[in-house]
This record gives sequence, C-alpha cells and structure tokens, in this order.
Amino acid sequence: MAEEPEAVLQFPASAAAGGEGLTEVSPETATPEPPSSAAVSPGTEEPVGDTKKKIDILLKAVGDTPIMKTKKWAVERTRTIQGLIDFIKKFLKLVASEQLFIYVNQSFAPSPDQEVGTLYECFGSDGKLVLHYCKSQAWG
Amino acid sequence: MTDDKDVLRDVWFGRIPACFTLYQDEITKREAEPYYLLLPRVSYLTLVTDKVKKHFQKVMRQEDISEIWFEYEGTPLKWHYPIGLLFDLLASSSALPWNITVHFKSFPEKDLLHCPSKDVIEAHFMSCMKEADALKHKSQVINEMQKKDHKQLWMGLQNDRFDQFWAINRKLMEYPAEENGFRYIPFRIYQTTTERPFIQKLFRPVAADGQLHTLGDLLKEVCPSAVAPEGSRNQTWVSSMADKNSATEPPLHHLPYSFHLFWWIQTYCKWDLLIRLYKLRCDPPHSRCILIPLQESYIRR
Repeated sequence: MAEEPEAVLQFPASAAAGGEGLTEVSPETATPEPPSSAAVSPGTEEPVGDTKKKIDILLKAVGDTPIMKTKKWAVERTRTIQGLIDFIKKFLKLVASEQLFIYVNQSFAPSPDQEVGTLYECFGSDGKLVLHYCKSQAWG
Repeated sequence: MTDDKDVLRDVWFGRIPACFTLYQDEITKREAEPYYLLLPRVSYLTLVTDKVKKHFQKVMRQEDISEIWFEYEGTPLKWHYPIGLLFDLLASSSALPWNITVHFKSFPEKDLLHCPSKDVIEAHFMSCMKEADALKHKSQVINEMQKKDHKQLWMGLQNDRFDQFWAINRKLMEYPAEENGFRYIPFRIYQTTTERPFIQKLFRPVAADGQLHTLGDLLKEVCPSAVAPEGSRNQTWVSSMADKNSATEPPLHHLPYSFHLFWWIQTYCKWDLLIRLYKLRCDPPHSRCILIPLQESYIRR
C-alpha cells in the first residue's frame, strides 16, 4: 500500500488559524527542524520517539469527499484536530460553513482540541497516523 | 462482587453542589437570583443545566441571549470535560458550593467548544467510549454492538439510569479468558501544574513476565515526575473515594502503589471510559496524585 512519492514542497506558514505547521513529507526522511521552519529538507534521519517534533499523517477521503492531492503530511505534535480540519478545508477550498469530520481507526472522531501527537502515540502504526476525513458523519 | 457494585453506584451517583450566578455584565430585565443544583460528577455541564439556562433566560430579553457558557474564577469551563474532572482540577480546594458564573454572550472561541445541541454531547460521549474501546479491545466489542446498545449507553447517562447504562457497559469491561485484561489501559493524566492538556499513552495491564502492572508502574512509566523518589520526604500518593455516606466531601482512602491497575480500573473506573489522573501541587514539597476515573469516582483531597 505504498504511497506515490510526493514532491518536496515548501508550504509557507499561513497566518490563518490552524493553517500553519503542516509540511509535506519528502521521499527521504526529514531532518530535525527548528519549530518555526515550514520547510522539509532531505537529509539526515530525524531522531525517533518523543524527540521527533513532527509526526507523519496520512489523510484518506471517505465517500464522495474530495481527495487531497497531497495525502502525506508532517505535522507538529501539538497541532489540534481542529487545526487539521481548518487546514484540510482550506486545501480543498471548502466553504467555512461546511463541516468536516476526522476519524481515527475508522471508528471514533477525536475531540477538536485533541493533539495529533497524542493520537499518534496511541493509534499510530508503521510510523504514521492514518486519519479519515469526511464531509458527513461516517462512523457516527 | 457486591462491594464492587457498591463502588460502581457510588461513583455514578457522586454529586457536587453548585451555585450558578449570572455574570454581572449580562443585561437583565430584573435581578436574577442564583440557582442551586447538585451536579452529577459523571455527566457534562451542558447536559444537566437546562434548568439553569431557563432560570436565567426568564429575566433576560431574547436579543441579549446567545450560547450559554460557564466560568469559574475567570476560567471558562470546558463542557466536554466531565463535571467531576472540572471540579477536581479547578475547585476542589475551595469551599462548597462550587460557585459557577453563567454567561450568555462573548463566547470564548479559543477556550471552549460550541455545544449547539444535545446531539453534540452524545457524539462526544460516544467518541470517548469508542476511543477507550479502541485501546481496550481494538474496538471489537463496541463495534459488534448494535446501534440500540450505543443509544442505551447514552440514554443511561442522560437519564441518570445506572442499571440501564451498566447493562451495556459491563460488556465493555470484559476481556477474553485467555488474556489477563484489556489490551491497553485507557487512561489520561491531567496535571494542574502544567498548561499541557493531558498525558495519554499506550500502557499494558500486564508486564512481559506476566505480572500485573500496578498503579505505581503506570505512574513511573508515563508520569515519573509524579512519583516521589525512594526515601524522599516528599509524599506522592493516590487516594480514592470510598465513603458512600459522605454527600459532599468524600473522604479518601489511600491506594497503595502496589494496587493492581487492572482491578482498580474495573472496580473504580466503571465505565470503559478513560481514567484520569492528575497531580495537585499544594504546599510544597508534597505532591498529591489524584486519580479520576473518567466520569467516575475520583480521588481528591
């Protein structure tokens, strides 16, 4: 189930609420970077475990929800689910009033204030956290 | 297991006396009297305060009312945290009743989630139950249940029906005969000494050698700062509510660190919900550890 290697893109840190702090995962493992940097650069391996500032998230669309062109993201551990929702909505050019739901393990929707780092610790596998997103409630 | 059932009931029926007062800057047609209410520890603020809302809205004009929210000594109260948790984190060392301020305007977007309807509370509650089961049973038990069973859990909570709730919840507390417990212990540690929301990690009830993990093992592993060093004069202890006769100030009894974690969760946590621990820094150098089974029994001082 390997993903197509994604091109390395640099996303400017957005001023919009929750919009910043996501960077695309480069084909090589990312270097440890200062918190303010938005760039992902190829190079030495990031230290594993708690010292890693960003975690890898794989976004999967559910139903007729538009598919993200870029599915793999390196996200700050302290990013909240709400921040991620806002980012995806902007990326998909959804209207602010449109709802977006995010699910873990295709079974529960974490609270909007929950941090992705904690979810990764508990529900991540193979070095990433898989999240399903949907415009309507998929798993209740 | 009669004792266990008693504990389950005690936790479920735990109450906190609260006094609701309208924020002084709210515009009213006439003076608003405070409203007194016994709050169930295991429930959520927005689920149990319909009467509070009605009481204050009676003295206000429609145009001055928007979404209700609550605050204690300047801290907005997160409705999605169980009432008992909010109280223990913020107000447990203050005198009762718990004085809560009611607001109808200037909703603090940065601090609180919106709660436009009971459906939102139900969705949040069910998500918590599902998250806990994801840890305990890889979601197998809760996913095998029918929609009506999920509904019964919610209705049990909403209507304060212990038997109704536990008829379903007991299934979520079971585990396969060949195992020694759940896959992972569902827990969260809330600390009053930090801005961080909570600690939640994977932790097995049984060690590799087959020994049952204890509460002390859990704390040493995930929250070592809460554990006093050996031989230190600082005491870190965990206490839990046991006296069912006390209405407002449940006395404590101390849980030894050697307490088998899994048994404790089955007995005190009742719900297959996440348990919560946190640390209160009172008079230094003592630090107290407070265990709060989610929406459940609690340990406080």
